[in-house]
Amino acid sequence: MVEFLQFLVPGILIGGVYALLASGLGLIFGVMRVVNFAQADFMMLAMYLSWALFAGGVGLDPFLAVPAVFFVFLLLGMAVHWLFIRFVIGRRENHDAQVILTIGLGLIFQNLILIRYSSEPRVVAPSYANAGDFIGDIFISRVRLYAFLLSVLVAALVFLFLNRSATGRAIRAASENWEAATYMGVDIDRTNRIAFGVGVALTAVGGSALVTFQSITPFVGLRFVVVMFAAVVLGGLGSVRGAFVGGVLIGVIQSVSQVWTSAAVKNVWVFALFLLILYVRPNGLFGKAQRAI
Amino acid sequence: MLEISDLRASYDGVPALRSIDFQVGAGERVAILGPNGAGKTTLLKTISGTVEVDAGTIRFEGRDLHSQPPHKRVEAGIVHVPQGRMIFASMTVTDNLRLGSHRGGAQHRHGERLDLVLEIFPALADMLNRDGGALSGGQQQMLAVARGVMACPRLLMLDEPSMGLAPRAADSVFEGIARLLESETTATIVVEQRAHEALEICERAYVLESGEVVLEASNRALLTDERLAAAYLGSET
Ligand SMILES: Nc1ncnc2c1ncn2[C@@H]1O[C@H](COP(=O)(O)OP(=O)(O)O)[C@@H](O)[C@H]1O
Ligand SMILES: [Mg+2]
Repeated sequence: MVEFLQFLVPGILIGGVYALLASGLGLIFGVMRVVNFAQADFMMLAMYLSWALFAGGVGLDPFLAVPAVFFVFLLLGMAVHWLFIRFVIGRRENHDAQVILTIGLGLIFQNLILIRYSSEPRVVAPSYANAGDFIGDIFISRVRLYAFLLSVLVAALVFLFLNRSATGRAIRAASENWEAATYMGVDIDRTNRIAFGVGVALTAVGGSALVTFQSITPFVGLRFVVVMFAAVVLGGLGSVRGAFVGGVLIGVIQSVSQVWTSAAVKNVWVFALFLLILYVRPNGLFGKAQRAI
Repeated sequence: MLEISDLRASYDGVPALRSIDFQVGAGERVAILGPNGAGKTTLLKTISGTVEVDAGTIRFEGRDLHSQPPHKRVEAGIVHVPQGRMIFASMTVTDNLRLGSHRGGAQHRHGERLDLVLEIFPALADMLNRDGGALSGGQQQMLAVARGVMACPRLLMLDEPSMGLAPRAADSVFEGIARLLESETTATIVVEQRAHEALEICERAYVLESGEVVLEASNRALLTDERLAAAYLGSET
């Protein structure tokens, strides 16, 4: 039992970060039906930003840097929507162009970083990087606990924004039926731009929550892209809540499976569960025939 | 208040509207009648801006709408209640109505409009916390009209409010619309297949066929002239 808990708790902690990474992807898909293949590379960029703020003279703690990361990536996401995404969605929807555009953006991000910073792994090690506390027999890493709490807090704020604010309501309306939202006077271009910015910022914050225990390379996105997509599909395509639950679930499975099998095959368990859930519930855990974010 | 001249629109090169001239005066109620595929919905969409025009002009209160995106037209008071209702099924009735008040001029009048809307459609009062998708077809149509009324329209456009409804449900939707038009002076366009109901609440009608206006007449003329009635109103009654 103790052994099980020793794996369950870290699984929940990392799952919270996966959840945040995935809810950004899920929000963008839910609102504008764009599969953003560059999402994990926005995460990678955010990790480099956190690293630069920490290592580059400023010495800013990566957890304290989160508001800055959020706003930088909110603006970057909105800019990317304005420059590119808006031309391939809505009335001009073109799925081929979306795929090529977002994969291309991701490759550009990776290579710009490769040119600027090389492929040498970077680490962010604040003084408390290895600290932790025992609760009973279970060791809880300080940085992983902070990463979890941060992820849950940021996700909760974004849920509040979507459900309580007028702009959030307009975003949900546009995601369900953009034509109807247009007739309500919703500026779809604007709600899409905000949703894309917020979606990118969520994943970016997830990335900066990871930097204290995940080394950073230009290709670190590839390690998380599978987890993010699996979480989004598992939770029900287009449901932000579902993406969040899917992320936690994947963290738990990856971790708890190590009670029985080696860490090397932890993703096999993820895919086994993935197939099982889609077999039982083809629309994912929270997916409905109707669209709702 | 609305003046349309020589309006043309098409889908992928296939014309849907060929040279439409169309006017609505301040406070006037106008019906658009005509068979399926005549271009009635397309005409409303060119006014609200979700279908692009090929040629011609649309002026609203003297301003050319040509370069105005749809949300700016709503801001100006043009409110479209679309065919097929298009309510937000995953959101509560309350949230649907709040979205109705999304436009700048309507936000601060939300409370007052909500009272009006619940007076017109009392059936919605018990449903406020239900999801839109859980309502019956008739209730959804009432919600769609109510949502439009929340926006304090200057020009209200109703596209086939009785479509797909059982006769009883359609009747109660029309009763609500009639109550609305009694208490408000909003200029209104009603597109309908049920021509007689539409003519009861409108002063004037246009009949569209194959993207052209084939008749424009007062409701008196249409209802009393047997030849016109036989030719354009079908054999409903
Ligand atoms: N989205 C669309 N794409 C292509 N053709 C369309 C579309 N909407 C309507 N049409 C065509 O345009 C014509 C007018 O349609 P519509 O305005 O919906 O007529 P009505 O509302 O009078 O039934 C019809 O021939 C219809 O098939
Ligand atoms: Mg129609």
